[in-house]
Amino acid sequence: MSNLTTAPPAGAPSVRRRGGGRTPASRRRITGAGGNRHLFFILPAALFLLVFAVYPVVQLVRMSLSDVRVDNLGADWQFVGLENVIRNFGDGAFGGVIINTVVFVAIVTVLGLVGGLAAAILLAPTGKWPGLILALLVFVWALPPVVNGSVWKFLLGTQGLFNTLLTDLGLASTAVPFLFDDRLALVSVALVNSWVVIPFNALVYRAAIIGIPGELFEASRVDGASRWQEIRHVIIPSVRSTTMILTVLTVVYGFRSFDFIYVMTFGGPGTATTTLPFLGYVQAFVRFDFGLGASTALIAVLMVLVLAVIYARNVRQEEK
Amino acid sequence: MSTVTATRTLTTDSPRPRRAPRKMFANPVAGGLRIVLFLMYAVPLLWIVLTSLKSPSDVIGSQSSLLFRPTIDAYVTALSNAGLFTAMQQSFVIAAGTTLLTLAIAIPAGYGLARVNSAVTTVILGALIVFQMLPQTANVIPLFQIFGQWGLLDTNFGLIIADTALLTPFAVLLMRPFFRAVPVALEEAAMLDGASSIRVFRSVMLPLARNGIATTGTLVFLLAWGEFLYAVNFFLSPVNYPLSALLAAQVSAFGINWPGLMALAVITSVPILILFFFTYRLLREGLTLGAVK
Repeated sequence: MSNLTTAPPAGAPSVRRRGGGRTPASRRRITGAGGNRHLFFILPAALFLLVFAVYPVVQLVRMSLSDVRVDNLGADWQFVGLENVIRNFGDGAFGGVIINTVVFVAIVTVLGLVGGLAAAILLAPTGKWPGLILALLVFVWALPPVVNGSVWKFLLGTQGLFNTLLTDLGLASTAVPFLFDDRLALVSVALVNSWVVIPFNALVYRAAIIGIPGELFEASRVDGASRWQEIRHVIIPSVRSTTMILTVLTVVYGFRSFDFIYVMTFGGPGTATTTLPFLGYVQAFVRFDFGLGASTALIAVLMVLVLAVIYARNVRQEEK
Repeated sequence: MSTVTATRTLTTDSPRPRRAPRKMFANPVAGGLRIVLFLMYAVPLLWIVLTSLKSPSDVIGSQSSLLFRPTIDAYVTALSNAGLFTAMQQSFVIAAGTTLLTLAIAIPAGYGLARVNSAVTTVILGALIVFQMLPQTANVIPLFQIFGQWGLLDTNFGLIIADTALLTPFAVLLMRPFFRAVPVALEEAAMLDGASSIRVFRSVMLPLARNGIATTGTLVFLLAWGEFLYAVNFFLSPVNYPLSALLAAQVSAFGINWPGLMALAVITSVPILILFFFTYRLLREGLTLGAVK
């Protein structure tokens, strides 16, 4: 499900601007007097989400302020205020989990954006090969995360492809513990996450590059710009707004990443690959301390709220 | 015909000339880098398939060996296991059920939000973005408790509802631009002819937005097919697991039978491959929708 955030809800602005057949008069008519009858169409989704999305968040808040274990999950929650949060911060591992989260998100975001842009530049030309490679990338993105996670767990294993290559080429004397080393494991899982997000970012960047006016490239060519200068002075500035939106989307994607951690390391060794959302899951469903898990998950939710505000601002600026 | 025009406007139509990128980077460096990119994504897929065709003893020796005697034992074993068919059936029921339910509520909502211009719209859109960004682990904790109370644990219906709640915000946000691309004048013409709102929606808007519906439906199906966190936690026994959850449970086990696991991964991916083959163009354009300015 980690694919989820990667879908851009930013489609609206592009369309709004070119609503060609839409005169001011017609807009007034449809949104004026009887315009709000369209709210009726929103009702089923609104009701559904109230019950199955809003209410769960309310329960999450209540749970985070209570002592909830397996035996009293159904009823009789004892209100304990901020005790769960205090217990979390008092736990020595919590600070490490925050650091893991920051490192993880940083790697996924930087590689996701740089790799996405690089792939987009390589695949922007029309033609058979760029087209086929792009399709391959999007297919990998569309595969269930469990499939991608399990193949990488296999490839990065002690006797996996990478270790065999490294030892055969003499680059390593013994197998590299990609998923078993305290530090390396986090980097490995983050790399795999970047690998999956690059196709999506490439697709979005590619559309932005294709939209750059041809004159810009011609002008830079007349000025004798090299391809590298063309990337630096034409492409990167032109796709700035896309970069802003993709940055927030990729940060959120990395932050809420769950599937690859679950499949590849399950947060280990120790808590080496445990990020904040994963910690909440482990506390609730492995240690059965639902109150503590809920408080951790709530901290994660609050962080996402901050990111959502940044995102909404960027999108609104785009619409102007 | 008009559908094509509408989607065109949405995705590819640009008033600016687009010839520049075509000539760009037609040099050997770019060619080499493209091969690297290709290998980065093709090799892992190739390895899934190769490993699934090995015998377990070949894998223990060297997992990266290219020389081995192919065998379809892993597939035979996997497919002769009755549990796999249950899992496959579960995957289809859950993914199809989620797609239908999500589309049923997200299509009208996307239309409504495309046509109402008020403060309410802004608030709802903001809420949808937030819900789309929430970590799934923050939903699974309260939903487990709520479903326990309502007797929805261990049922396909419960899982379909949970997946729908997860994917609806995304589906609505994706549907909305497709409806916005349809000129209001078309609706007004139909209304002048005496059609009701619902009639206009059904007979005018739905056919015009069918590319958007197909794109959204495909993506929802893909995501529901791959979802495993709810499945692993809301089904109390592995008997009801869909393929993705079955696969996740195998991977985290000790002493993994890699060929068997990779065969399971291939079996899980084949429906995705088929769907992808038929909908790639839609997916590519639907996903880039957000970026075309």
